[in-house]
Amino acid sequence: MTLPGRPSILLTVLGSCALAAAPAVAAPLFTAVPAQSSLGFVGTQQGEKFTGAIRDFDARIEYAPDDLATSKLEVAIRLKSMDTKSPDRDQALATADWFDFARFPTATFRTIAIRATPGGPVGDADLTIKGHTKRVAFPFAWKAAAGGATLDARLTLDRLDFGLGAGDWADESMVGRKVDVVVHLTLAATPAKPAKP
Amino acid sequence: MPLRSTATSWGAVTRLFHWGMLLLIIGGISVGLYMTDLPMSPQKLRVYALHKSVGLTLLGLAVLRLLWRLGERRPAAAPMPAWQERAASATHVLLYGLMFAIPLSGWLFNSAAGFPLQWFHLVNLPALVAADPALKVLARTAHGFGVLLLVVISAVHAAAALKHHFIDRDRTLRAMLPLPGDSK
Ligand code: HEM
Ligand code: HEM
Repeated sequence: MTLPGRPSILLTVLGSCALAAAPAVAAPLFTAVPAQSSLGFVGTQQGEKFTGAIRDFDARIEYAPDDLATSKLEVAIRLKSMDTKSPDRDQALATADWFDFARFPTATFRTIAIRATPGGPVGDADLTIKGHTKRVAFPFAWKAAAGGATLDARLTLDRLDFGLGAGDWADESMVGRKVDVVVHLTLAATPAKPAKP
Repeated sequence: MPLRSTATSWGAVTRLFHWGMLLLIIGGISVGLYMTDLPMSPQKLRVYALHKSVGLTLLGLAVLRLLWRLGERRPAAAPMPAWQERAASATHVLLYGLMFAIPLSGWLFNSAAGFPLQWFHLVNLPALVAADPALKVLARTAHGFGVLLLVVISAVHAAAALKHHFIDRDRTLRAMLPLPGDSK
């Protein structure tokens, strides 16, 4: 599993700052085990909840509970793999009114910092969907397990922050604005590889 | 006009069901035919939602109408050959069957397609089955075919009513028409 290339200039700059400031040991690297990980969401259409699953995503997690400064979470999500159990709805979601898969095939999630809070770790992350980037707080639960860890999180987004279903579709009685994202990652510890550009 | 049917005439409740549902059916069919070719938009979903709400209303009315009818006497038929009487009864049974089969196949299609189902923005109804592409095609065909059958059978049924009225000059039609002062 690889992250698609094209890191933004901002990230390159941030990355080199982090490198310069990082202690000799970085947080260990994990990658998601696809068969045991899920990225889903719950939306509302005409008063009825529906669930969507996104099957194709790469998670690159560098995390150590006691070394949050060098920890980071990065996820690249290939939106085309979205399945809401209704081909008609999936077709609509692909269009320019919604995700516009043709122009924006990938959504990205990258933490800028991770803080310890009494309730557990919280990432401050940039979430980019359809060319709109929003800073979100991402509280998550981390559990170490043999050979890796699990990460669980739940996050509520406003679809209009990302230009999803703007204009005529903004009407909430048709499609609710709030979307709950549910993340469950089973992570395998991955031997450190030479850093990729 | 008495609420209940008499020996010679259909009661007010039966007449209200008959003509009220006829109007709603015409509305439902018109909306149904209009909506499918609309380009995808929230407006399209609103028109679909209206169609489904009207259709579900018709399903509810069909239940009430059948229950009411089962407790009613049937006015004596005007004199006619036995085969015509049997044909009329068979037609009525078929029409009742379609009053259920059409909205139920619509509901089934809606479920198999994974669409939401809401009655006039008020209550959400459960899916009858999980999303299923094969069943979706089948239910869609049944829905369209059911409507076609209803149109054909209603046309025969209405033609028969007109024949009774204008050719046989009996009171079959008047016994069902929503006219006051004709309840004898
Ligand atoms: C007596 C009640 C109903 C009548 C007379 C009726 C009639 C129709 C008609 C004429 C069409 C268009 C068919 C075509 O283009 O071939 C249609 C389509 C449709 N009906 Fe109904 N309908 C009824 C009830 C319902 C109900 C209760 C539902 C859903 C719960 C429903 C869901 C649909 C849907 C989703 C379509 C569109 C199919 C598509 O997109 O291809 N209908 N209906
Ligand atoms: C313009 C169209 C229509 C006309 C002129 C018409 C006329 C009539 C008449 C005169 C009767 C009384 C028959 C008798 O006493 O034996 C009748 C009964 C009946 N009609 Fe219609 N009808 C029409 C449309 C429909 C439609 C579309 C349906 C079905 C949805 C329908 C369902 C029935 C049923 C089930 C009965 C038996 C009485 C009852 O249980 O309500 N009719 N109709």
